[in-house]
Amino acid sequence: MKAVNKNRPVNLDFKTIKLPLPALVSIMHRASGVVVFFSIPILLGILSCSLESESSFNELKDTLDGFFVTMVVWGAVGALLYHIAAGVKHLFMDFGIGETLEGGLKGAKITVVVSAVLIIFMGVWLW
Amino acid sequence: MQVSIYRYNPETDSEPYMQDYHVNTGGKDLMILDVLALIKEQDEAVSYRRSCREGVCGSDGLNINGKNGLACITPISEAMGKRDSKLVIRPLPGLPVVRDLVVDMGQFYTQYRKIKPYLINDTPPPAIERLQSPEEREKLDGLYECILCACCSTACPSFWWNPDKFIGPAGLLQSYRFLADSRDEGVSERLSDLDDPFSLFRCHGIQNCISVCPKGLNPTRAIGHIRNMLLQRAT
Repeated sequence: MKAVNKNRPVNLDFKTIKLPLPALVSIMHRASGVVVFFSIPILLGILSCSLESESSFNELKDTLDGFFVTMVVWGAVGALLYHIAAGVKHLFMDFGIGETLEGGLKGAKITVVVSAVLIIFMGVWLW
Repeated sequence: MQVSIYRYNPETDSEPYMQDYHVNTGGKDLMILDVLALIKEQDEAVSYRRSCREGVCGSDGLNINGKNGLACITPISEAMGKRDSKLVIRPLPGLPVVRDLVVDMGQFYTQYRKIKPYLINDTPPPAIERLQSPEEREKLDGLYECILCACCSTACPSFWWNPDKFIGPAGLLQSYRFLADSRDEGVSERLSDLDDPFSLFRCHGIQNCISVCPKGLNPTRAIGHIRNMLLQRAT
């Protein structure tokens, strides 16, 4: 008898799997967490630099006024805002709110809208 | 209608591939299982599991146009999204494929076995039966109906990455089914078994399990209840 083939393929092609909105919100939560993890040290570095002396503050201000740098800062802070919004959704879920099919979808929609509004406000404030 | 089926024969194919079939449904809104039967008339080598054909046995869990569900109770109209031009049927994601649409459920059952899916009660049983009040019995509603079709666990990214360590939504729903049972005396033992970084805490509330369950059950909420029980025990 032929040995059983243990080298079996696994169907896990993400192009073929539909992910509902709550899943996308959750994956983005993870992704934004990675961005936050790497950008927080940079943001803290900028803060520390701005506090060093008046001349270093002015120097930093000139650099940060550039379009490209502002975009990067906006991206980093945007990721943080999204991460906070999705984190608050998790706190609600810990209280048993938004743990149904409809509730989960509603929670995901609220997360997207709230974080989008926060990110747009942050963009306006930065410019 | 056009139907695309995931094909893999371990004896002749080195890689799985998609094969297209043309099926005449006679304009009827058939169930996906009926469509598979029509395909089997054309090509009897196409393999899939089925048994009761009415959503009770849980044998024909498949990934239908990107969403897990039971072929026997999913009509074509429900499976096809607005932008879908054809029916695409693939095996449940994340489990090893034995052949075509048949997956090896071994990892799924291993996780199920871990939660001790039976009453733990060392008290000698009364002469007739262990009684429950209607209120106590009501707590098992939404838990005992699970048919172990694996649609939820194979829709869960946490289970895809850690099928050997994370119990998965189906197993955890069943775990809570026994934790919530007034006749069970194994609460502390059950909770201790789950109190590690993987078994339960790999659940990140993605909620794919709720969106695919063909029985309309809610593993996410059951997992939340277990988490609260663990928290209360620790404080």
